Amino acid sequence: MRFTLNKKSIVSISVAAALSLGFSACMESATPSKSAAPTKASIDGGVSYPVVNGKTGPYYVNTQFNGVKINNGRVPTADEYKEWDSDIMPDGTGLPEGEGTAEEGSDIYDEKCVMCHGDFGSGGAGYPSLAKGNAEELQATLTNQRIKPDEDGPVRVFGSYWPQASTLWWYIKDAMPHPLTDSLTDDEVYSLVAFILNANEMSIDGEEVDDEYVLNREKFLKIKMPNRDGFEPKIDGPNGPENVRKYFANPHNFGAQKVKPAERCMTNCQEPTAKVVYIQNGGINDFHPPLSAKRDLPVEKEASNFDAKKAYADNCAMCHDSGAAPAPGDKAGWAAIIAQGMETVYKKGIEGTDAGMPPKGGSSLSDSNFKSVVDYIVNQSK
Amino acid sequence: MDIKKSQQDLDSVSNDTKSNSRRDFFRKTAALSVTALAGTSLMASEEKGESVILEPQEWGTKWGDPVTKNLYGMPSKYEHNVTRRYTKLLASGNYRASIAVTPIQESMGIITPNGLFFSRSHGGIAHIDPNEHRLMITGLVEKPLVLTMKQLKRYPSVTRTHFIECPANGGQEWRGPQYNSVQFAKGFMSCAEWTGVYIKDILADLGVKPEARWMLAEGGDSSKMGRTIPMEKVLDDAMIVWGQNGEALRPEQGYPIRLLVPGWEGNLCVKWLRRLDFASEPWYCKEETSKYTVLKPTGKAIEHFYANEVNSTVTSPSPEIDWSDLEDGDIVEIEGLAWSGMGTITGVDISFDGGNTYKEAKLKGLVLPKCWTRWSYMHTYKKGEELLLTSRAMDDAGYIQPTIDQETSVVGVEAVYHRNAVETWKVEKDGKVTHVEVRSQLERKPNGELYVGGKA
Repeated sequence: MRFTLNKKSIVSISVAAALSLGFSACMESATPSKSAAPTKASIDGGVSYPVVNGKTGPYYVNTQFNGVKINNGRVPTADEYKEWDSDIMPDGTGLPEGEGTAEEGSDIYDEKCVMCHGDFGSGGAGYPSLAKGNAEELQATLTNQRIKPDEDGPVRVFGSYWPQASTLWWYIKDAMPHPLTDSLTDDEVYSLVAFILNANEMSIDGEEVDDEYVLNREKFLKIKMPNRDGFEPKIDGPNGPENVRKYFANPHNFGAQKVKPAERCMTNCQEPTAKVVYIQNGGINDFHPPLSAKRDLPVEKEASNFDAKKAYADNCAMCHDSGAAPAPGDKAGWAAIIAQGMETVYKKGIEGTDAGMPPKGGSSLSDSNFKSVVDYIVNQSK
Repeated sequence: MDIKKSQQDLDSVSNDTKSNSRRDFFRKTAALSVTALAGTSLMASEEKGESVILEPQEWGTKWGDPVTKNLYGMPSKYEHNVTRRYTKLLASGNYRASIAVTPIQESMGIITPNGLFFSRSHGGIAHIDPNEHRLMITGLVEKPLVLTMKQLKRYPSVTRTHFIECPANGGQEWRGPQYNSVQFAKGFMSCAEWTGVYIKDILADLGVKPEARWMLAEGGDSSKMGRTIPMEKVLDDAMIVWGQNGEALRPEQGYPIRLLVPGWEGNLCVKWLRRLDFASEPWYCKEETSKYTVLKPTGKAIEHFYANEVNSTVTSPSPEIDWSDLEDGDIVEIEGLAWSGMGTITGVDISFDGGNTYKEAKLKGLVLPKCWTRWSYMHTYKKGEELLLTSRAMDDAGYIQPTIDQETSVVGVEAVYHRNAVETWKVEKDGKVTHVEVRSQLERKPNGELYVGGKA
């Protein structure tokens, strides 16, 4: 069987240096150290523990395995490979053909996304913002630091912060909408990406992504993210891993401190200006369950205490109160549904529907409690 | 025992009209034992003794449960408060992209029981049928591969004890303390004994092409969590694990299999693992661009920030379990945890003045690479004293925990991730414990750099 695995662009430059470092970790070292726990500098700035005399650090290793071929499993079929090979790389590897406009994206967004991500991607209710305005202008906020109260912080949304647009396409396709992922067509993803580019007031090749702009693969690959160069170390290209190693070899790059144990500070280790700072305004104390170290018997919960109204607010309102699905009291919206008979309404609610209702609204309610919530909605909507 | 002190205690107890507790009982009897009965083996007492001893308990006279009950054992009902906890602040509206954190104030030793291991997911906790799950390995390998779980487990197994820490552990407290709780301030981590297979052992079978510089690990849950890992780590100690503390992974930990990248960001330890792909260029997954990057005052952000740096905290006393029941002169053990994703803990120092002066604390038990390490210090408690307990750990890579001033003046206060500056817990006059920070006001130079105020 032949595979077209050339999609991951093959760079001819040798990385033997990096690899040999890695491989030495899984082989008996030729130069055993005197120390019981030999260490060497690693890509992450730390140390690793190569196998020496049959041990890695404190652990014994069965070295009988060295060089033994296990030959487990089988080669995947081309269709299997294709089905799971959904990643999109910055150079466009994996990105399918397709097209869509911001206007089409807006309709999909209103139907499937706005209940969590807010109007124009403004965010809310614990879900991320997708846009806060002009990407170029907001990129300038990345030097903001809230070192004093009431200062503005940096804006880290798609347009102002993300280094690659490929991440957005891939993530929407694979992992959105959150309650029913992998459910959008490629054209729908292009439309949503166009909508998000529009909300971030971005341009492609000098052309503003307005409502009618038709985004396709070719144009997508021309997107220049304002903060493309905003990240360190540089991970791309043949020197990527070595750039990372160099970066983390310098503690100052990432706020770390190195010291010889005998020379560490034991007195006057704080700045004279340092003082005790306390939790302000009670801090965060919304803890569930409340903090307690008591050894007592748990309070038995009574099933009859189930609060359908609260369960509705917690699990259903994000769609049913936002217009994405009929709200309680919307008699016109509910009439056709109720007409199917309550057993059908329960069943469809529990199992979910193609119209976008996730099973039990994405909640973890029991069947009987979920039915109580359905009753709560229907009773107001007759 | 110091007789004079005991006599004082006895006097103070008898002057206290409210005293009727078990503690007072022991105090009286202890005093009497030395004043009246020194040299004998039993205590004399004004009272007959404790009813829990003098009267039989129900569990001491009646049948317990048959062995047929609870074939999978559960903790005592009385331990129900020892549990993971969550807060709405760290959750999407429906707790599917969220976290529940470990009660490290109750942790014993260096192993977190599976039911208390912190739980973080990006699309909810998937419940995967292991018979219907496959691991696919593709890209720059000589032979791509599909494995059933049974086939995967046929590789020679390896068992290692490592912590997993969310790099956002402490990430809400860059600008000041927020949580009066060690569970929330430092409990975005846990430690377990993992069993699985080294990825390098599987790759020895497949043959990895020399152009491969990066590995993508991707989950099979609804969020398809993906992360890019450099080959050096893949070929060092990265594992695919199916065992956790002697049993199968819990669903919250990625059952049937997850990646384990020892010492590195918990987020890299992809759960519900279904795919490994190898390439010459990195991927730019969502969780290594929009999140899990560290924005510095320069406006540049650190990407691929792998290891959780050397860190430590006092876990006892804590706001949850404080010293308000201690009496003057009580000898008490201050305990804590230290850990480093960059190596092995070599020492921990303890400060009573918020990190200005330090004394050496003692390490306890096993000291393993990239693993929780327990430390302690014996302290004689003085009633009414105020203490600022600060711990500071070192590792064999040469790192030591920075002060808050040292760390924030380089990486600022917007980093979210990788905060490992020393942590301080204030013991108040009444023995209660409060989370505080000891730090200076930062100022900014015209070029954007931050510095400690008053120190241009």
